[in-house]
Amino acid sequence: MTYWFRQHHYALSVALVHLRRAPGSFLFNILVVAIALALPFMGATLLDNVRPMSEQLSVDPELSIFLKQDTPRQQAEELAVLLRQAVPDKQAKIIFTEREKALETLKEKSGLADVLTTLGENPLPDSYVLKLDAFRLAESGGDVDVLAEQIRELPGVDTVQVDSAWVKRLAALLGILRLALLLLAATLGTVVVAVVFNTIRLQVLTQREEIQVSKLIGATDSFIHRPFYYTGALLGLCSGALALGAVALALRPLNAAIAEFARLYASEFQLTPLSPPLMAGLLALSAGLGLIGAVLSVQRHLARVQ
Amino acid sequence: MIEFRNVSKQYSPDAVALRDLSFNVDKGELVFLAGPSGAGKSTLLKMIAAVERPTAGQVIVNGQDISRIRSSAVPFLRRKLGLIFQQQRLLTDRTILANVMLPLLVTGSSHREAEQRARAALDKVGLLERASAQPLALSGGEQQRVSIARAIVNRPQVILADEPTANLDRASANKVLDALKAFHSVGVTCLISSHDEQMLDAAARVIRLNHGQLEVAP
Repeated sequence: MTYWFRQHHYALSVALVHLRRAPGSFLFNILVVAIALALPFMGATLLDNVRPMSEQLSVDPELSIFLKQDTPRQQAEELAVLLRQAVPDKQAKIIFTEREKALETLKEKSGLADVLTTLGENPLPDSYVLKLDAFRLAESGGDVDVLAEQIRELPGVDTVQVDSAWVKRLAALLGILRLALLLLAATLGTVVVAVVFNTIRLQVLTQREEIQVSKLIGATDSFIHRPFYYTGALLGLCSGALALGAVALALRPLNAAIAEFARLYASEFQLTPLSPPLMAGLLALSAGLGLIGAVLSVQRHLARVQ
Repeated sequence: MIEFRNVSKQYSPDAVALRDLSFNVDKGELVFLAGPSGAGKSTLLKMIAAVERPTAGQVIVNGQDISRIRSSAVPFLRRKLGLIFQQQRLLTDRTILANVMLPLLVTGSSHREAEQRARAALDKVGLLERASAQPLALSGGEQQRVSIARAIVNRPQVILADEPTANLDRASANKVLDALKAFHSVGVTCLISSHDEQMLDAAARVIRLNHGQLEVAP
């Protein structure tokens, strides 16, 4: 264990010495790799912020049933029985919302309380929300559009709105964005590996004499390779940290603009940086990409040094 | 200790370095390899260190057949050898102390132990006071003595020196030779290639090579 630790400590110190000898070149490489990493990191941050919202939105079919304004309350409440009979999915949730409660909620959430007060009379009707399970609905041979038509024929019903369509579109859009981000990450990951590959190739060339002497005095291949692996991993790690820092900085002006936009919708939505475990994961991924570049370069170029 | 059995080395049909070479070097012997440039002296030394492999025959070092040694075992063989080159091949980006410490760090010694032993090795070749100097600040003879210190710091069983005095003046060459003789006197087997006739005159045993063939092997 002491031997193993000592060998790795030596390799790390050699890697640091080599980096200190050419700090300008190392910093430039960090900058190049960080730029390549910053784009997917920013994408991951945006997706991570949007994901909780999209998860809260159900992609299961949901029907909003608005009753006629003049429907008596008793008739409105009795409609629940007819709805239950009409729905093939017997476990569907039927939620009745009284018009008074609907107005109260609208005042609270829309920020339009003053405007609504000036109306004098409550313009909202009583309503039902019918929450269906897509799987059970399909299993029982039901179709959400046919069901909406049937409900529209029930007494007291004014309009029926199928609410899940836009949620499905949003989910599909997020799926496409996720895939695009994955492809972007793969492409830029390849760029990172290529930059590290070339950096290590140059290091092997400049340290040719040291490698040859080390081989002649009994250094094993792993002893010679290890400092280059550390260099690659350090390059990836530092670049990852710089990219995360850049993304965190970019969130400030973005959040200022988003706050202005969200205020118009009475929302307080803000982009937050990634969680520490996710950041640690991205740093490990960056170091891993650097290590892969270094391993590929060392395997290719060190075999030629005799 | 070292045995060559019908060893040949051919780089191409027109370039034969060694032809059917057979000889022994016993443990603790001091042997000089003599011969003109291109005689095959360097190739012979490189074979003992497994830098080159024979085309035919066997090279036995300490009972181990080097001609069939696995690549992964080569570093461990070289740790038992001390190699000295005509060009000292010191690393110019570090002090001479760091140069001498390198073989010990390669074998996993701690930094403190490596430094202690490297200082002791530099002391043996009379360069301890220059431990923190850069190699390029030393004369050719001093650089060669540093390379001797680097070769012996791991307490090798065999020292292989390829023309160690070739580029040195007489006084520096004598100092280098004295250092090598000092290690031979404590039981280290030494194989030294040279075309310096004055040096060969004082040798107990000389193996002469010409066009890759043995001339005299007493």
